[in-house]
Amino acid sequence: MAFIAVGAILVAIGAFIVNSKSLKSVEDGVMNAVGLHIDFGKLIATIGMFTALFKIVEYFFLNPLFDAIDGRTKELEHTFGEAESLRTEMTQLKTDYEKRLTETEANAREQIQAQIKEAQDLKKELMADAQRKAEEYKQQAIAEIESEKRKALTDLRVHVTNLSLQATEKLLTENVDNDRNRRIIDDFLATVEVKN
Amino acid sequence: MNLITGFQFLLAAGDAEGGHHEASPMAQFYGLMVLIAIVALVTFLFLGSAKKGLNTKFFSKTTTKLLEQLYVFIEGLAIGIIGPHGKKYIPMMMTFWLVIFVSNLVALLIHASPTSDIAFNLGMALIAVGYVQYEGMRSNGVVGHFSHFAGPKLPIAMAVFITPMIFLIEIVSETMKNVSLSLRLYGNIFGGGEAVVAMNKLGYNGDTFLLPVGDFLFPIKLLTCVVQALIFCLLFAVYLSLVTHHHEEGHDHESHGEAAPAH
Repeated sequence: MAFIAVGAILVAIGAFIVNSKSLKSVEDGVMNAVGLHIDFGKLIATIGMFTALFKIVEYFFLNPLFDAIDGRTKELEHTFGEAESLRTEMTQLKTDYEKRLTETEANAREQIQAQIKEAQDLKKELMADAQRKAEEYKQQAIAEIESEKRKALTDLRVHVTNLSLQATEKLLTENVDNDRNRRIIDDFLATVEVKN
Repeated sequence: MNLITGFQFLLAAGDAEGGHHEASPMAQFYGLMVLIAIVALVTFLFLGSAKKGLNTKFFSKTTTKLLEQLYVFIEGLAIGIIGPHGKKYIPMMMTFWLVIFVSNLVALLIHASPTSDIAFNLGMALIAVGYVQYEGMRSNGVVGHFSHFAGPKLPIAMAVFITPMIFLIEIVSETMKNVSLSLRLYGNIFGGGEAVVAMNKLGYNGDTFLLPVGDFLFPIKLLTCVVQALIFCLLFAVYLSLVTHHHEEGHDHESHGEAAPAH
């Protein structure tokens, strides 16, 4: 307001100077000599008008413009800051994701390797077990075969003995001690087996 | 009736400088005031329209965009020439630019303008140079500011003769800045108007107006409107940089822990 008041006063002074004749001789003498007519009243009034105009323009129009531009700049900076923050966050998330992905891949690889190893161990174990069982079955079968062979031989021997006895009994048609004859035949057969 | 009187004032103001027929000093005064009022009105209308489009998001209004472009241009001028501290002079530079440009545009339309009056231009120049001196004294102190006018430090025997001479020349130089600023603008705008009037007479055979030869100068005059506003603001910025850059250099040196050199 002070500037506007000063401006108005200067305009009034300018008008007063224009109206008065006191400076006319100076204006006519000095300025006309160089070919220019400068009216001091208009000069003072112009300074007054500008003094007021500067403040009016600055206060009512330029300050709001500067505030708007500053506000926009701050908003842009804020937006860019947020974008930058988000970008940093995204980068961090990406890094974390990649790290986790790498870890997951490593874990998966490790687990697969462990599973493969476990499967291979299991395979070896199963193979060994199977071989062992097969060997057992084979041994058992051999033993059973041997046992059956011995049993068959024994049965055969008994049968042959019985046949021999029956044949001998029939042939001799005499009462012979059956147990004694059997022992003699057994001894005979044992001798025959050893020879064979 | 008042409207007719107002236009008589305008004509009086315009003709006063042309010297075709002398109007009364008071009529010239009011004529200038009416012209300034027209310029202020056009400026306020433009700024008011631009103000309506202000927001903190995006300027979509044409006048607001134009004002923003002007701000960006003046900001570049102020910071480029004066330095980072030149931002505080932007309001004054923008006001100068707007007033001179609008005044020059008015001169294109009604063949009378504040800037075709030497008193108006000298008034603006006095404000500009006076403000430069004020800023110089504020930045360097009264003694420091005027000691710049004395030139470099010389041996005492030479200083007795040369320093007062340099001081006198610098004072004259500072005074001539007013003349330079005001006469350049006055000469271009008033001379441009006179050139149009004179050339228009080439297409006038005494009875009928055949061809407005002078009006073909319109594009050049339009360019002059911009250039003169630019030159005034440019010189104002240069004058400010001359009186304030020592101060800023001093601050720079101090901030680096060095003593500012004596100028």
